[in-house]
Amino acid sequence: MSAPLQIALVGRPNAGKSTLFNRLTGGHAHVGNFPGVTVDIMKGTLEIPGLGPAEVHDLPGVYQLDPGPGGSADERVTVDFLKAQREAGVAVLVVHVIDATQLELHLRLTQEIERVMPGVRLLVVVTQRDELERGGGGVDGVALAEALGLTVRVVSDQDEGERAALLSGLAEARGSEGRPWGPEEATRRALKRPETSPQQRSEAIDRVLLHPALGPLLFVLILGGMFALVFLIADPASALFDGLLGKLSGALRPVLGEGMLASLLLDGVFGGAGTVLAFLPQIVVLIGLLELLEGSGYLARAAFLVDRIFRAVGLSGKAFVPLLTAHACAVPAIAATRVLRDPRERLTTILVLPLMSCSARLPTYTLLVSAFFGGATLRKAAISTGLYLAGIASGLVASTVLRRTMVKGKGLPLLLEMPTYKRPSLRQVWARCRREAWDFTRRAGTVILAASVLLWALLKIPVREGGQEPLIERSAAAAVGKALEPISRPIGFDWRINVGLIGAFGARELMVSTLGVIFGIEDAEDKPEPLAEKIRETKDAQGKPAYTAATAASLLVFFIFACQCISTLSAVRKETRSWGMTGFVLAYTYALAYAMSLLTYHGVRLFTG
Amino acid sequence: MSLLELPVEQTATIDQITAGDDDALLRAMGLCEGQPVRVLRRAPFGGPLQIRVGEVSFAIGRALASTVLVKVSTPG
Repeated sequence: MSAPLQIALVGRPNAGKSTLFNRLTGGHAHVGNFPGVTVDIMKGTLEIPGLGPAEVHDLPGVYQLDPGPGGSADERVTVDFLKAQREAGVAVLVVHVIDATQLELHLRLTQEIERVMPGVRLLVVVTQRDELERGGGGVDGVALAEALGLTVRVVSDQDEGERAALLSGLAEARGSEGRPWGPEEATRRALKRPETSPQQRSEAIDRVLLHPALGPLLFVLILGGMFALVFLIADPASALFDGLLGKLSGALRPVLGEGMLASLLLDGVFGGAGTVLAFLPQIVVLIGLLELLEGSGYLARAAFLVDRIFRAVGLSGKAFVPLLTAHACAVPAIAATRVLRDPRERLTTILVLPLMSCSARLPTYTLLVSAFFGGATLRKAAISTGLYLAGIASGLVASTVLRRTMVKGKGLPLLLEMPTYKRPSLRQVWARCRREAWDFTRRAGTVILAASVLLWALLKIPVREGGQEPLIERSAAAAVGKALEPISRPIGFDWRINVGLIGAFGARELMVSTLGVIFGIEDAEDKPEPLAEKIRETKDAQGKPAYTAATAASLLVFFIFACQCISTLSAVRKETRSWGMTGFVLAYTYALAYAMSLLTYHGVRLFTG
Repeated sequence: MSLLELPVEQTATIDQITAGDDDALLRAMGLCEGQPVRVLRRAPFGGPLQIRVGEVSFAIGRALASTVLVKVSTPG
């Protein structure tokens, strides 16, 4: 059997590549690794009638194929991919994806593709036909094919029945005839200009959304609404998921008995990795809403609105999307920094991303807030909002400091295409959610599972004989936790919290389940109240409450700052290609966490006595 | 005059790009000599400009906007 045909989707950002990719592959994609390319590229497979099996690669958007020093990391990925294939002697079929509403501009890239890869098999796919037709315009595919001497397909964004035409286009695609043509002339022959262009419609919307006073207000409302929705949708979904896991675990317990193996499976595997999956809804909902905003064209407007503020801290408006994504999870956020063309800005963004309050911090936030600051829902909501804002504020401060010290140098000014407003494609949103869910589950299935099994051993296997002493106090974890007390005392943490933090080192999701084991509560994640109560009522050697509001505040602050996440560190390592930077993230976030906890602990004690 | 000085909503033509290292990128993105250009708005407090070049809208920082020289095509 011959090797599958390699198809590369190339185009400017926002040309509609990912939509086309999902349409061709049905959204079934996985991440591929390629020689010569350091980052992952989405890959899918399909069967082309008359050509056989093929692999499609969704390459990051490019403005030029010869980017030089001004190009973004994304552009280099695409260029490196095409170069590596050429050098390996693999014949690639390039699909150039073109936005019908900006035909002439995109055709210049077609010319560049022909110039850089002479004789390459090329299919031109013109997307967003309907956007053009809505204003009374249109693209004549036949005329365009004649003008270019290439195979052309014109598709709309909404019509799902065009896959056959695309497949026949792939089968027909040939190398260019080498006949010279000009973008301007080709556009004149093929394009019927619309009376009202999507640009004009977008300008009308921009007059509201980018209004000097109304714009920032709507920005705050949209983002606030987004986070409110995450809690409204994701909370019940998480509870449901968690309840199911609890039931399954409960049903298995009598079957498996009380042995070590049963405990490993139920407490280690289910309690650890299983719990983590319960936070899947939060990530998926937030990512889905982000994709919705991205697809609508709003995120570029948000970047425009925050650019001035971000500039003051040494970043640009483009860093906004990665920083927002980090509130779901830092790992996809680090990948999202590839759109930044300024290497200093990109490095700074990667270094401060871990300070944003990701969804994995929420269970610990919820537990501590309900244990020590409980009561009115409004007060809890205010504290949660405060924790989010503290993460954002610290990120901005950290960026200011970094840009004046370690990552010194003039920043590159903002240059960002603002795509026209569109109705977001739900298929696209769904594909992104599914991909993130799978990525997250895979991480949960490896790093977090390994961490929870290790943690189970440290917590459940006694290291010394102790008669009446509870098992947990004789565990290896307790020994380490107690050894760390001299360091943790000043910030108010005793050995139990230390053990929780050790458990959360690899994945902060494990904090609540670890505390649950330490305080002897089963299914702590299901019902945080009993654990919260138990923590509140624990007494120290003198019979006074072991944990106070000061301890809780200190621990909350520690959780905002410390990068307790191996997945994040590994993503930092991968993108910066530097162990030094990875070590730096770990060191500075922990140092910051310690310093801020110290301040908080003593500050709160000053007020509460 | 540069794009930075062009009054909002006045149409001009891009005359010259003097961005040094960023020349190629600006041209590739669509800001090339001869293209019609219009400033849609300026973000307050020295923030970026939103401009329209041909069929595309861009956000462009002021430092970069000052390197794009324009000629006013229709007076007034």
